[in-house]
Amino acid sequence: MDVSAMIPELLSALPLTLAITFTAMLVGFCLALVATTLRVRRIPVVSHLTDLYVSYARSVPVVLQLFVAFYGLPLLVALFGAEDFFSPTIAAMVGLSFYHGGYLSEVLRPAYLAVDRGQHDAADSLGYTFRQKIARIVGPQAVHFALPGYGNSIIYLIHNVALVMYIGAADVMATAHLIMERDYNQYQFETYLVLAVIYALMCLIAWFIVHLFELRSPMQAPEATTTAQIKNAAIASV
Amino acid sequence: MFDTDILLQDTQEILGAVPVTLGMALTIFVLSTIVGSIFALVEYRRVPVLRELIMAYKIVFKGVPMVIVIFLAYFGLPPAFQFLLSLLGINFNAHETPNWIILVIAVTGCIAAFQSEIIKGALNAFDTGQSDAAHSLGYTNGQLFRRILFPQVALTAIPDLTTSMMVIMKALSLGFAIEVVDIFAQSQLTAALNYYYLEAFVIAVVIYMVIAYIVTQIADRLEQALRVRT
Repeated sequence: MDVSAMIPELLSALPLTLAITFTAMLVGFCLALVATTLRVRRIPVVSHLTDLYVSYARSVPVVLQLFVAFYGLPLLVALFGAEDFFSPTIAAMVGLSFYHGGYLSEVLRPAYLAVDRGQHDAADSLGYTFRQKIARIVGPQAVHFALPGYGNSIIYLIHNVALVMYIGAADVMATAHLIMERDYNQYQFETYLVLAVIYALMCLIAWFIVHLFELRSPMQAPEATTTAQIKNAAIASV
Repeated sequence: MFDTDILLQDTQEILGAVPVTLGMALTIFVLSTIVGSIFALVEYRRVPVLRELIMAYKIVFKGVPMVIVIFLAYFGLPPAFQFLLSLLGINFNAHETPNWIILVIAVTGCIAAFQSEIIKGALNAFDTGQSDAAHSLGYTNGQLFRRILFPQVALTAIPDLTTSMMVIMKALSLGFAIEVVDIFAQSQLTAALNYYYLEAFVIAVVIYMVIAYIVTQIADRLEQALRVRT
């Protein structure tokens, strides 16, 4: 089997995979920020709705979330009068953004709560507004707590981008299936091995980047005492 | 558009897949906990070569998406079985291995890497002074494990093990790629018959969320009950 001929073809689909990943990363992060804020501030009905959203994102399989986005989006878009605004790629981006947002919210919230209560009180007593408090005192510390969990969530996002194929987006997995069918399904095992290497490398790069940030984090010393309190989502997410 | 008449009929059909899914999930949970415990014990005891091997295993299974692991198992396991069996001189067509067994093996392989992490964490939370005390009281290693180590480690691990139970439930949804019918696959099949896709998927979403809620509640009760006694 000529693997070297297969790799460029597989990599030609990589931009789409990366585009979906980065969109989901950005939008998901914004969603997670909003969701975390709403959940932390305990607004009566809104907080419960956000809890429901987070548990949807965490307890429903990602394939199912993708399918819900794929079949639900056209209905939602039709409500606003826009027809024909639709493609599997967009559905994949939306579905994964919602998944990533919910998952990340469960990383950010413990990180926010892990910041010592006294820091909040001190900031309040100095007359900081909520926004100043978050930007100058609580935020930087929470970022430190959240980094390992954030790295995990990025890795799981990359894993789950592999599922986008099932709603018809032409990503690396879909291209691999095309290649396999063209070769009369002879080299399926080999093709999946190549795919495994590609995804593992992507995860490794993502992990490495997050790790660099972790090393740059100024609060190295208290790590041993504090990280034990935070539940980092060490478990896979499908 | 969203049709409500079909909901009841679809719900009955999709609920039919729940026992199978739960059964498979429990099997995987037990198997992966056993494998993960062995891994964790090897790392806890710092067994020389095995430890590095397990490290490599974990890196591989955490880096590769589960769909790809399942596909690799689907195409790779039957020939491997066939080869092993022919070495043993058993004449058996391993290519007829049911798909659900392959799915169980693949998901167990993936989850075991994470389970070992959870159990290692629980082991590290265990106070070594207690094992010193037990040894000074003349406990054997077996007694130490059964009476002191296991009850505490199991209790510490309950919340994370609950999460991994849910992850297994979700991981089974990838089985539809190799034609194993679980809740998600059943909802897809039902939808394919009557073209009410969104309705079937919404039902599946609700079922998954309800199961997650029930599992979490049971785990919380269990943890509380055990904690009172100790």
